[in-house]
Amino acid sequence: MRRWALAFAFAVTAVAAGSAAGIRAVVVQSPGTADPMIVDGDVGRSGGALVIAARTEPKTFNPIVALDAPSRDVIWRMHADLIHINRETQRTEPALARSWTVSGDGLHYVLHLRRGVRFSDGHPFDADDVVFSFAAYLDERVHSPQRDLLLIDGRPIAVRKIDSETIGVDLPAPYAGAERLFDSVAMLPRHRLEAVWKAGALGDAWGISTPADDLVGLGPFRLERFRPGEEIALARNPDYWKQDRAHNRLPYLTRLTFAVVPSEEAQVIRLRAGELDVLNRVSSQHATTLDRDQANGPYELRDLGPGLEYHFLFFNQNDPAPAAVRAKQAWFADERFRRAISLAIDRASLVGLAYRGRATPIWGHVTPGNRLWANTAIAHPPPSRPAALALLRDAGFKQNSAGTLTDAHGNAVSFSILVAAGNAALTDMAAIIQEDLRRLGVSVQIAALDFNAVLARVLESHDYEACLLRLVDGDVDPNPEMNVWLSSGPTHLWRPAQTTPATAWEAEIDRLMRQQMTTLDAGARKRLYDRVQTIVAEKLPLVPLVSPNIIVAAKRGLGNFRPAVLDHYTLWNAEQLFWRATEARR
Amino acid sequence: MSARSAALRSLFIRHVVRAGAVLVVVSWLVFAATALAPGDAFGEARLERTLSPDAIAALRHAEGLDRPLLVRYARWLQSAAHGDFGRSIAYRAPIAPLVAQRAVNSLLLVAAALIVTWTIVLPLGVWTAARDRSTDGRIVAAGATALIAVPDLLIAIVLVLVAARSGVLPTGGLRAAGGADAAGFAAIADRIRHSFLPVLALTLIAAPPLVRHVRASLLDALASPYVLAAAARGIPYRRRLWRSALRAAANPLVSLFGLSFAALFSASMMVEVVMSWPGLGPLLLDAVRTRDEQVILAGVVLATALLLVGNSCADLLLRSIDPRISA
Amino acid sequence: MTSGLGPAIGVAAAYLAVLSAPVVAPYDPTAQHREHPLAPPTGIHVVDREGRVHLRPFVLANGADGAARAYPVRFFTRASGDVEAPSSVRLFAVDPPAAIFLFGTDTLGRDQFSRLLYGGRISLGAGLLAAACALTIGVLCGCVAGFFGGWVDTAIMGASDIFMALPWLYLLLAIRAALPLTVDPGRALLAIVLVIGIAGWARPARLVRGVVSSVRSRDFVAAAAAAGASPARVLRSHVAPEAFSVALTQASILIPQYTLAEITLSFFGIGIGEPTPSWGTMIGAMLRQELSVAHWWLAAPAAALVGVSLLYHATADALHRRALTMGVTR
Repeated sequence: MRRWALAFAFAVTAVAAGSAAGIRAVVVQSPGTADPMIVDGDVGRSGGALVIAARTEPKTFNPIVALDAPSRDVIWRMHADLIHINRETQRTEPALARSWTVSGDGLHYVLHLRRGVRFSDGHPFDADDVVFSFAAYLDERVHSPQRDLLLIDGRPIAVRKIDSETIGVDLPAPYAGAERLFDSVAMLPRHRLEAVWKAGALGDAWGISTPADDLVGLGPFRLERFRPGEEIALARNPDYWKQDRAHNRLPYLTRLTFAVVPSEEAQVIRLRAGELDVLNRVSSQHATTLDRDQANGPYELRDLGPGLEYHFLFFNQNDPAPAAVRAKQAWFADERFRRAISLAIDRASLVGLAYRGRATPIWGHVTPGNRLWANTAIAHPPPSRPAALALLRDAGFKQNSAGTLTDAHGNAVSFSILVAAGNAALTDMAAIIQEDLRRLGVSVQIAALDFNAVLARVLESHDYEACLLRLVDGDVDPNPEMNVWLSSGPTHLWRPAQTTPATAWEAEIDRLMRQQMTTLDAGARKRLYDRVQTIVAEKLPLVPLVSPNIIVAAKRGLGNFRPAVLDHYTLWNAEQLFWRATEARR
Repeated sequence: MSARSAALRSLFIRHVVRAGAVLVVVSWLVFAATALAPGDAFGEARLERTLSPDAIAALRHAEGLDRPLLVRYARWLQSAAHGDFGRSIAYRAPIAPLVAQRAVNSLLLVAAALIVTWTIVLPLGVWTAARDRSTDGRIVAAGATALIAVPDLLIAIVLVLVAARSGVLPTGGLRAAGGADAAGFAAIADRIRHSFLPVLALTLIAAPPLVRHVRASLLDALASPYVLAAAARGIPYRRRLWRSALRAAANPLVSLFGLSFAALFSASMMVEVVMSWPGLGPLLLDAVRTRDEQVILAGVVLATALLLVGNSCADLLLRSIDPRISA
Repeated sequence: MTSGLGPAIGVAAAYLAVLSAPVVAPYDPTAQHREHPLAPPTGIHVVDREGRVHLRPFVLANGADGAARAYPVRFFTRASGDVEAPSSVRLFAVDPPAAIFLFGTDTLGRDQFSRLLYGGRISLGAGLLAAACALTIGVLCGCVAGFFGGWVDTAIMGASDIFMALPWLYLLLAIRAALPLTVDPGRALLAIVLVIGIAGWARPARLVRGVVSSVRSRDFVAAAAAAGASPARVLRSHVAPEAFSVALTQASILIPQYTLAEITLSFFGIGIGEPTPSWGTMIGAMLRQELSVAHWWLAAPAAALVGVSLLYHATADALHRRALTMGVTR
């Protein structure tokens, strides 16, 4: 009881001191981080502002509960994690933890925190903040969407303080690449949030109406001003713990503004007019126009090639399924049928027409954008109608005199493809597939619904025949993909949450995925996941089609502009961005 | 109490009761459709591979989405009756403060557009009616028709494109993005510059059908026995047109005025999205996308209330200028 | 011109053109010429490189050897090339590998001209039928509400408030998500007509009701009613003519608007599904592409819609004028 009161009193004084400090933090209270992190890259000039387009405003400034990408894009400019996945190299690197050691069995981590790090209100950061942050993420009452990532085999990882600069982390079971778990777990100020947490209100804390001074983090920027529906202005955090090679304190920019521009059309127009500096993502259609006018415009377009997103077609293999679907499931269950469909689809047309060439055809589910894990040995069979027909004949299908494909019982082969409406590239893809399959004698109807309804049909009611969908990975590692590939996984799309694997190959994938999760040797793990990719490419539960390129655009003259194909694309190194001298502005 | 004020009072009460009933019916239909359609506010989170089904179930439970339809609606109705419009799931916050500032922004835009539109529509409608038998009047009338046939979205996007190319006007937003707070006269001037484009878009969308209506009503009125009699009495054409004909045409025009308010409001939702105006449009679009049901409800109820106010005003105005219509 | 015959003939010609699409259109509207995505309109020449004038127009295309060659346009010929069912006679065609795209092609290489003609069948039909449906209900309800007043008026106007206030698109989206996935184009068309008609009656009803209630209270109408004329007779001879003009104006506004409404419906998958073309889906596709002058031919359906709207407008105007003249002589 007494300790409670003490902690409370401490929190109150800290809050008061923090809000009173204000400018003092810049002038007096900036002794500098004792061991800053030195980052590679061009040495830039300080100053200047950057305006980034945002589709919507953030829904919350709370990193624990944020679910949507616009919120995370803003939040992660204001916060930092212990170990970070470098978006460019796709490998982990030290962040707030300057180093770490792992025990031989991979179960025990010891993390050494950077010394002299301060929150954006000047309050020092130490091991208690780390313990608090993990406790908050793991608290069931807070409903953090990241909580499940911190459970291994259903049991939470244990985080304990060894001393004020050292943290011990114990895993309940071996977990390959466990240091990736620390990425995107924000280190939060205990002095600000502990009281709220104990009051059970942490989930609703730090909403968008929170005063800017109350939002405290360890990221390169801090909130300066939020105008609902208009813009979010972030100001430089003078206490940030990263420095460039010349030991200049980062970030360079004094202000980072997210301007809310809901329509992509308007985003493109305003970039060309010079009103916006960065578009974090450009669709292939707009990229074509931007590319054509690049020579006259004040901007540059970067096509980074395929990202981690993959588009695929899959068939309803649920049991039980609605009666109308059940009649067709004999076709869908036959792997020869699925392979014939895959052979009949001309991926080059999908890329060339639906994406204007700004996508990459794929035959496996791990895209070439995933440099560490993609299995490059997977075959790329060219589209071939005769080969597809041969497979179908082998499976008992026939083409009748009118060219219509019929199954062994004489039923005409026809099915509908469910697709999310409003996405031009996806609906174009559906129309191309429709035509490809029509040439095979298969009649396809396209059903466009809103995305939410598509997912409800796929994951809940199972009332659909085939579906064209895309998945976006947050990380290159196979572990977050477990829920897709394990036959019991909730996003095992073609047949979610089966109790036992329906086929021998699904059982094999189950075994391989479980094995790779606990295999600590990187090479062995890669071989296991390569095998999974090979099985998927052969059995085609998902028919991989294309991976769209990640395309970004920015005003010319932005130094250290090195966009990555992982999330936050252009913003991952926001602290390093600077305006070159010749384009000095604002 | 005089008979007239009693009649007015009963009329007012009748309008309020009817409006209340309409609001309840509309909100219930929208709520039922939202709740019954497949998927919910956590639908897209289901594809998030870091979330287990249990975690989603817990989130749904925390927001009360697992309760029966009627219970959820009743709870919302209760909170709406108390003046707060419930809670946004996406924002994890009460709706009223979320909606208030945006509603003001939207209303400012619609009010400005309403004034500009009718300032243009009335003279233009009268002029095209007066010049009905000459080429210039017909060209303008045909131009209005052509604009009706152009999709609203196209009008808005083309305006943004033109503004961006010319560089004269800002292409979106409420004020200069990333800039410091301006004060006093400069701030007002900046606001006006920024509202120019959305007001123009709304005018181009809303005015053409109105011009057509005004023109048609006036042509009718000019041919009515009443105005023809005035012509026979030797009253000059110009006066006939402005006095007699416009008064005779007032009835449909007043109905139109009420309708135009609602039309402008719904068009402004789209214009706000294209021109990054921080009004209700972007908020509602996002709420629909994320199935944030109470935000959708709040938006729909607000829009309906505005429409009802517009219609009631038109109705009352109709009675005051045309006393023959009994209450 | 004032007779209104010219514009009426224009409207009839537009309908004739879309009805004869199988003959006039050179290609199957769903055929994808994938080697020609977003192709600009094909140039049709009569003068060759040597300056000789040909009576038969020709198009240029690269032959199998890669060299540009002239391919004559053949009239009243059997279709060939991509069209898989060469059953009918086509007005004009060229031999492959040449292609004739009068209005260019869309992203999937489909002939815009053929799609415009086939799509017009659906769009012109749907716009007209939906407007007719909305106006019939609207004028009827407006007349009844304005004429009888009292609780009938309150009930109908209350209903019209609800119908105008409902966010139709949103409701349709929700309902669509719960319906069966595939609907054949015929039923989809019927559904579009009904939905727009049912959603759209309220506005004309309000306008008509305002006019009717003021007409009813005029002295001569009141006198007729007092003299024992039946309500039906009063409605027919005194009220209906006044309502007619409002309805006519509404019609000339609603037809193009309802043709556009189909865009929004198609955009959300409630309209005619792929691959069947309609002007709505074509304009919707244009709006979803980047908007740029580089692909100006994608605006062909929008231009067609403006043209047809002007014809409707002129026709309605002429009808209106005739009604007025008749009213004067009456």
